[in-house]
Amino acid sequence: MSEFLQQVVEGVGAGSIYASLALALVLIHRFTGIVNFAQGELAMISTYVAWQLVASGMPFWLALPVTLAISFAGGMLIERLLIRPVEGAPELTIVIVTVGLFIFVNAAAGLIWSFTVKDFPQPFPEGSVALAGVDIGWSTLGVIGVVAVVMGLLYLLFQHTRTGLVMRAVAANPASARLSGIRMGRVLMLGWGLAATVGALSGVLVAPLLFLEPNMMGGALIYAFAAATLGGFDSPVGAVAGGLVVGVAETLAGAYVGFVGADLKIGVPLLIILVVLLVRPQGLFGRAAVERA
Amino acid sequence: MSGQVKDSPAGEPMTEAFLEVSDLHAGYGQARVLHGIGFSVGRGEICAILGPNGAGKTTTLRALSGMVKGRGSVTLDGTQLLGRLPEQTARLGVAHVPEGRGTFNDLTVEENLRVGAYLRHRRGRRARSERVAVAADLERVYGYFPKLRERSRQAAGSLSGGEQQMLAIGRALMLRPALLLLDEPSLGLAPLVTRELFRIVRTVNEEERTTVVVVEQNAQLALDIAHQAHVLESGRLVLSGPADQIRQDGQVAEVYLGISVQARKGG
Ligand SMILES: Nc1ncnc2c1ncn2[C@@H]1O[C@H](COP(=O)(O)OP(=O)(O)OP(=O)(O)O)[C@@H](O)[C@H]1O
Ligand SMILES: [Mg+2]
Repeated sequence: MSEFLQQVVEGVGAGSIYASLALALVLIHRFTGIVNFAQGELAMISTYVAWQLVASGMPFWLALPVTLAISFAGGMLIERLLIRPVEGAPELTIVIVTVGLFIFVNAAAGLIWSFTVKDFPQPFPEGSVALAGVDIGWSTLGVIGVVAVVMGLLYLLFQHTRTGLVMRAVAANPASARLSGIRMGRVLMLGWGLAATVGALSGVLVAPLLFLEPNMMGGALIYAFAAATLGGFDSPVGAVAGGLVVGVAETLAGAYVGFVGADLKIGVPLLIILVVLLVRPQGLFGRAAVERA
Repeated sequence: MSGQVKDSPAGEPMTEAFLEVSDLHAGYGQARVLHGIGFSVGRGEICAILGPNGAGKTTTLRALSGMVKGRGSVTLDGTQLLGRLPEQTARLGVAHVPEGRGTFNDLTVEENLRVGAYLRHRRGRRARSERVAVAADLERVYGYFPKLRERSRQAAGSLSGGEQQMLAIGRALMLRPALLLLDEPSLGLAPLVTRELFRIVRTVNEEERTTVVVVEQNAQLALDIAHQAHVLESGRLVLSGPADQIRQDGQVAEVYLGISVQARKGG
């Protein structure tokens, strides 16, 4: 039993990383209706920024907020410089811009930092702590804690500030928001900035578990897609819940389903995506799109 | 209703005109909808725009608030509105309640109303007094629409169609608009509710001196509260005049029936 619980907690740890990347996807999708295929690559380059800061002597716990701030500014800049010019273009055009961004960021990271893998420092202490008879690694607890804090701050922003209210209004009804005097451009920039920030968080937290290299986020992005599909691409709460479910499902499948093991684990999110799309395309927390004539 | 009603054919300068529309053209891409319409609305007046489906009533309001591009001239208190975006016309005091649902469905009723007051946010010394004023206006809107108060913590998407229409109008009132544009406020409402809604529009107009342009299929109701009325057909004004006259002449019905009308004014 405690073995099982331990797997679940490990799964929640992995899941909170997927959750933050999924949340980044959902934030942008809610505001623009597009899927940002470059989200994982943006997280990757943020992770390199964190690595660079740490390598130049900055303590990790200072490098983390600095990285998140840089990512926030970077996300806003991308919206302003790359997305704004194609605003109003067909969705496919914007999606292709994000695919282009994916390729560009990936190549740029390889050019600057090379494609050889780097070790990313483990920010949490070694060892584990016994909680209710379950041995939980400090690193797992640390990941869960950091993600929980950031999610909590986002929740406060959206539910209890004027800026958050304005952002939700834009997501709900852009035309009426503009008629109320809200400038869309600023809100969209803010949305991209926040998405880049939570995405960066997922990169920095997953890097110590993997190695740092330009293609490191490929797997995580697939898990994040599964999480967002499961939760509903329009529901931030759904993205977080979806991330946790995907993380736990992956861990349990790897541990208990004989033939899955470590190698086939990546099949779990794909299976989840497929089943959700067949059974409940709007996701668990999403609403079916109702188009008015 | 009173003798103050201004009735001026296009061209004649009107000193008291608050909203002045002249030679307004608008459309969607290749499709041209408005072919040069002109009318003016005095400060504190209610102006009704009537006409059959597809005449261009909604397009007219959209051109005024900047939701579609227009050519010609639209001035509000002397300031040109054409060439501005909706978020900019809102800053000039234009509140547009669009056709159909203008609500933020994921937000609670009260949050909807607060978004309506978005532009009234102030920093520094005036922050406090404006917050008090917004709170007072919230009470005022709840006073007009008690149903909204009952449901203030409920998501707007869970309201009935009529309640959503009330909320959309309440949201516009929170801007304290100088010009209120209402597109078919009666859409989907029970007759009794519609009557009540029009009474409230009239009250707002009288108490706040808010200038109103209302587009309405229910001509009778609109003419009851309007000072001036214009009949739009295929993107052209075919009849303009004081609401009383237009109602008595019975020519509105002719227009709806498509019978050619000897327009006394406008055109
Ligand atoms: N978004 C749009 N794109 C293209 N054409 C449009 C659009 N909206 C309206 N039109 C066209 O413009 C014309 C006028 O439409 P408008 O909505 O202004 O009419 P209306 O007088 O408000 O009609 P109704 O009483 O049915 O609301 C119609 O022929 C319509 O097909
Ligand atoms: Mg219409």
